[in-house]
Amino acid sequence: MADKEAAVYIVDLGESMADFHNGRSESDLDWSMRYVWDKISTTVAANRKTWTVGVVGLGTNKTDNPQHNDGLEGYENISILQQIGSMSMSDLKELHRKIKPSRASGGDAISAIVVALSMIEVFTKKLKYNRKIFLVTNADTPIDDAEKSIADVAEKLNELGIELVIIGVDFDDADYGLKEEDKSSVKATNEQVLLKLVDQCQNAVFGTMAQAVEELAIPRIKPVKPFKTYDGSLTLGDPAQYKDALSIHVERYFKTKRAPPPTASTVVTKPELVGGPSQLAIVLDEDVEMGGTEFSSVKHMRTYRVNDPDAPGGKRDVEFEGLAKGYQYGRTVVPFSESDFSVTKLETKKEFTIIGFVPFSSYEPFLNMGETGIIAAQKHNEESELALSALIHALHEVESYAVARYVQKDGAQPQLFLLKPNPGIEDPFECLYDVPLPFAEDVRTYQFPPLDKVLTVTGHVLTEHRLLPSDDLNQAMSDFVDSMDISTFGTDDEGKPAEYAPIDELYNPVIHRINQAIRARAVHPDEPVGPPADILVRFSKPPDNLIENARADIESLIEIAEVKKVPPKAQGKRGKKDQVKPLSGLDIDSLLGQSRRTTISPSNAIPEFKQALATADDDATVESAAKQMGNIIRKLVEDSFADLFYAQAAENLRIMRDELIGLEVPGLYNKFLVSLKKSMLSGELNGDRREMWFKHIVGGKLGLITQDESEVSEVTEAEAKEFTT
Amino acid sequence: MAWGGDEERRADGDEEEELDETDYKTQKDAVLFAIEVSDSMLLPPPAGDQKKADKDTAVSAALKCAYQIMQQRIISQPKDMMGILLFGTEKSKFRNDSNSRSGTGYPHCYLLTDLDVPAAGDVKQLKAMVEEGEDLDKLLIPSSEPALMSNLLFCANQVFTTSAANFGSRRLFIITDNDNPHAGDKNVRSSAAVRAKDLYDLGVVIELFPISREGKKFDMTKFYDDIIYRDPAAEAGVSDGIEASKSGDGLTLLSSLISNISSKQTPKRSYFSNLPFELAPGLTITIKGYIPLHRQQPARTCYVWLDGEQPQLAQSETTKVDSSTRTVQKSEAKKAYKFGGEYIYFKPEETDKLKKLGPKGLRLIGFKPRSMLPMWASVKKSIFIFPSEEGYVGSTRVFSALWQKLLKDDKMGLGWFIARDNANPIMVAILPSRGSGGDASAASFLPAGLWLYPLPFADDVRNVDLPSAPRCPDELTDGMRHIVQNLQLPKAMYNPLKYPNPSLQWHYKILQVMALEEDVPEKLDDPTIPKYRQMDKRIGEYLGEWKEQAAKKAKELMQSRAVKRESDFDDGDRPTKRAKSVAAKKATGSMNNAQLKLALEQDTLKKMTVAELRDVLAGKGISTTGKKAELLEKLEQWIEENA
Repeated sequence: MADKEAAVYIVDLGESMADFHNGRSESDLDWSMRYVWDKISTTVAANRKTWTVGVVGLGTNKTDNPQHNDGLEGYENISILQQIGSMSMSDLKELHRKIKPSRASGGDAISAIVVALSMIEVFTKKLKYNRKIFLVTNADTPIDDAEKSIADVAEKLNELGIELVIIGVDFDDADYGLKEEDKSSVKATNEQVLLKLVDQCQNAVFGTMAQAVEELAIPRIKPVKPFKTYDGSLTLGDPAQYKDALSIHVERYFKTKRAPPPTASTVVTKPELVGGPSQLAIVLDEDVEMGGTEFSSVKHMRTYRVNDPDAPGGKRDVEFEGLAKGYQYGRTVVPFSESDFSVTKLETKKEFTIIGFVPFSSYEPFLNMGETGIIAAQKHNEESELALSALIHALHEVESYAVARYVQKDGAQPQLFLLKPNPGIEDPFECLYDVPLPFAEDVRTYQFPPLDKVLTVTGHVLTEHRLLPSDDLNQAMSDFVDSMDISTFGTDDEGKPAEYAPIDELYNPVIHRINQAIRARAVHPDEPVGPPADILVRFSKPPDNLIENARADIESLIEIAEVKKVPPKAQGKRGKKDQVKPLSGLDIDSLLGQSRRTTISPSNAIPEFKQALATADDDATVESAAKQMGNIIRKLVEDSFADLFYAQAAENLRIMRDELIGLEVPGLYNKFLVSLKKSMLSGELNGDRREMWFKHIVGGKLGLITQDESEVSEVTEAEAKEFTT
Repeated sequence: MAWGGDEERRADGDEEEELDETDYKTQKDAVLFAIEVSDSMLLPPPAGDQKKADKDTAVSAALKCAYQIMQQRIISQPKDMMGILLFGTEKSKFRNDSNSRSGTGYPHCYLLTDLDVPAAGDVKQLKAMVEEGEDLDKLLIPSSEPALMSNLLFCANQVFTTSAANFGSRRLFIITDNDNPHAGDKNVRSSAAVRAKDLYDLGVVIELFPISREGKKFDMTKFYDDIIYRDPAAEAGVSDGIEASKSGDGLTLLSSLISNISSKQTPKRSYFSNLPFELAPGLTITIKGYIPLHRQQPARTCYVWLDGEQPQLAQSETTKVDSSTRTVQKSEAKKAYKFGGEYIYFKPEETDKLKKLGPKGLRLIGFKPRSMLPMWASVKKSIFIFPSEEGYVGSTRVFSALWQKLLKDDKMGLGWFIARDNANPIMVAILPSRGSGGDASAASFLPAGLWLYPLPFADDVRNVDLPSAPRCPDELTDGMRHIVQNLQLPKAMYNPLKYPNPSLQWHYKILQVMALEEDVPEKLDDPTIPKYRQMDKRIGEYLGEWKEQAAKKAKELMQSRAVKRESDFDDGDRPTKRAKSVAAKKATGSMNNAQLKLALEQDTLKKMTVAELRDVLAGKGISTTGKKAELLEKLEQWIEENA
């Protein structure tokens, strides 16, 4: 639950805001609005009813504010453009129309702040709110600098707890290193007045627009309040059975939790709008949630089918209401009645209990299965605080982790956690970190050859081989790794050497890229999508000066490694003449030679087809083999009851396709496929064979062979696509 | 492990195990066990004097092994097929032709379980054979003349061709103790070799699990070297070290066989292949990726149609419809983001541009010492990478050099990683694993190579700010150290293979019981439950004393805190006036359980504002939605249960 927020933006719309200054290619207003739009659209994106926004125009042609209406002086040319309220996309559009430079040159910035603060005062009453006022201005119009009124405003701001942010166009800022030459005296005075106000506020910021705009690209991370996932005891032994068992009252929070990138919804153009954009299309329909837009959401409808030999196509629809729930055990379906549905769930009680301890050295981080938790003792519980502290320090001193069984709440699946001690080093307070461990079922025992030796077929061990690095290569790699060290390549806030690319600088590029684009499009719907901000792809490649420093080592590594790119054609395909032999090296082809295969039997089609092609020495044999294979495929489809032989037919087709590409005769395949498609879709092959076509051939990417796949093909990519749609 | 839930699973694509995009074939695995039945395979083991002596004949060990693997596969590979073919039997059977002895094209081959996703009936049949030793159909009787190997191989060919036509992985597991069938008969041997080549061309891999007897070596060169091909998909330099299973050295034949077969049981599926790994500008090698650690979940529920003769799985199909339930064509559907109550639309090419942050591949950014990897920096499982010579010749030696350097100097690489086209980029730490080679070090059950360890983004790190707890006195730490040192896990390591997932095991146990109509077991043998009795025996007394000591220290701490609070209170510059509302005001956050309880008893909780209530509830991890009355109720309930 995020805090409520009320923010009022005061935008200077005075005449001079339309001017271009200091060599910029946009007006002061457009430039300033980059900052304001970004702020406001971020609020819109959060989609929170309790985050409210108001907007006040300063230097407007008209005057519209309660203070002026009450007859107070000094409130001319200030208009409330939007009262405080939650902000939607349509409000944003509305506001967009109102933000235009005026022809007025009056308007007192301090008065505008008073207007804004009283808006906030009225709106938020005494409730708990984050209160903020933003003022963007080029300070071109005189401000009343009466000391008394400034002090009054500051006091009022402080009393209400309002944060004041003043961002000025070309304001001087020594910290940022900006000083405007030839500044007008009016502006210089105004800057001093505003600065005076800021100085008197408890919570205020005074900045220059250049810096604010520059910092827009820095991703803002959505703050999430700590979420407590567990509140209960961490035990060593079973306190229920053994009096000496230890129980520590702990609380567990998330330390890491993956932030998901924004997901797009599937939508359609509203049917009413198809056929031409209509300005009057404010559709009153059931789509309340997303009203007033040209898109409507798409829903999913599920239908259920079962096999039925008597039904056409072998399947028929069944009513969802008549279905029971169940699980599968292998291919056997086990239905469960609603009442004993939960019997397959293991009964568990909420618990967190230590199984044993293991040394640091016995564990590798790549065993981690997921996100990290943080465990601390319950507050104000002295016994637990001391016990957990003792555990943390003991683990740290003997360099051990604890392994614990964790059941989050009654009935939850047990998990095993590795508990790591943090005696106030990585986070500044004592805690345990936990990461989930794999279970036996989660481990797949894949075997790989060793990387530091080669075992020959005959069982010899080689330590020198083309697959193994030579001493020279090892040395070159070692030099390379050392010169590419980035442990002190970055700089910290004080400019001292520090770790390069620490985690707090790694922003998720996808999240921020999409969010920035959405916000940009919401404010300026007609502008194209720009390139990603540099800060987002900063770590997509090594820093240039690092590469420059390591240049010599890189070059010598490249030279010694002698890595050669495999030409694209040779990849993947076995050479036509490359004979395959069993371990013994027996020449099978010569055995086959006695009964050379030229006819292909349907039952052993794939091997015989391959072998026929492998020994073919003229085009006629290849053509004959392809023709026979084609007939076999046709027959399989024709004889297939429902989809019984489809997989087999598709596999034969796939082999045929691959082999004919290899022999560079794609035409044979393409010709066959054209006729097969015709036969299948016309019902010539004993019924409706559309499933074979769409699911197996189109879905299995067995379409026409294109020029991309085989140079001699006459089929273009576009033609192939056309053919399968 | 989804059944009928494919639609939903695709949604969380990133977490899903994406399959190698270069392979359009169905990523499924089919394994056919071929078990020889012969006099020697049926010979009872010599009566041993040890307690753990072998009791199984080779055939029964093989069947038990198949039974165990069948059960495992139902859990871990529910879409994959398995079958069992006996050969050398007097009876013959292939699919529908049940007339034994003659009629079948494959004499002395008996297809015990046809190649398919196992059904409850298959498990039951096998169970009866291995557990009760039932052989009702007199299957385990050797034929007078041996089965022709060529027949066996062609029989397997037909089984694979028809039942698993488009499976990405098809393997024939031959279990035999005969290293020289058809000795001397050259023609028969040749035709076996030809049939083996057929299987090779079909894409079926033969895995041999030889059994050696009484110290006699199983000699591959006599026959099987003509039958077995090197797996074309295998990494360069791999040699299939075939170890014969045998009884002895404290191992039974069964356990030896199980360990040999289990190691090859899972088909090696790559997550990506031929992926460029750019070490530096101008130096790129190719790698393959695997996911050796992947969380197995109990299968999802499915819908069952009960109105037929047998319960049948109802397959679901989804169609997209618009607000007026009109079917939406694929070409009409657009992608848009919700924003401020409306949709923000991007054209497909714009969406592509937004997502495209670089080509797929792994790019090295630099190196850091391993110690710079914070121990909390974990978000998801790691990916194992191994070199391949597919794209760049020389990849393996460069990779090996990098691996050795990182191991030697305890360093890690930092990498920018995009697994597939259109995949989201992540930052990874590149960590070496030592593997089983060398000393019995960490994680020796995992292969040697490099791992891509996903690093959290700044966005993934939660800001948890907890107050500093008081540091405990040294004597308590010393005592606890003694306890830690005395409760080490076996072999001082966490070996996941020793800890099956209890919920998963229970789920399938119950399913099996329901499917086979067996009795529901009372309890599950669950090694994740600590051995409480042993613990108490080992450290109980010591821990008891430690607790007394800790309680004393805790009391001292409590007193010193009370004193401090009092003095703080005295110093406070806003005295009496506010004292009345202290109970309610103090509530925010800092109110401890005792104070909450007091407030409950004195009925002052309702003086708290909604915001304060929410703060307190959030601090307890309780949902903060609802009106004040509901919030109060939640808090009261929590206090009653916890404080």
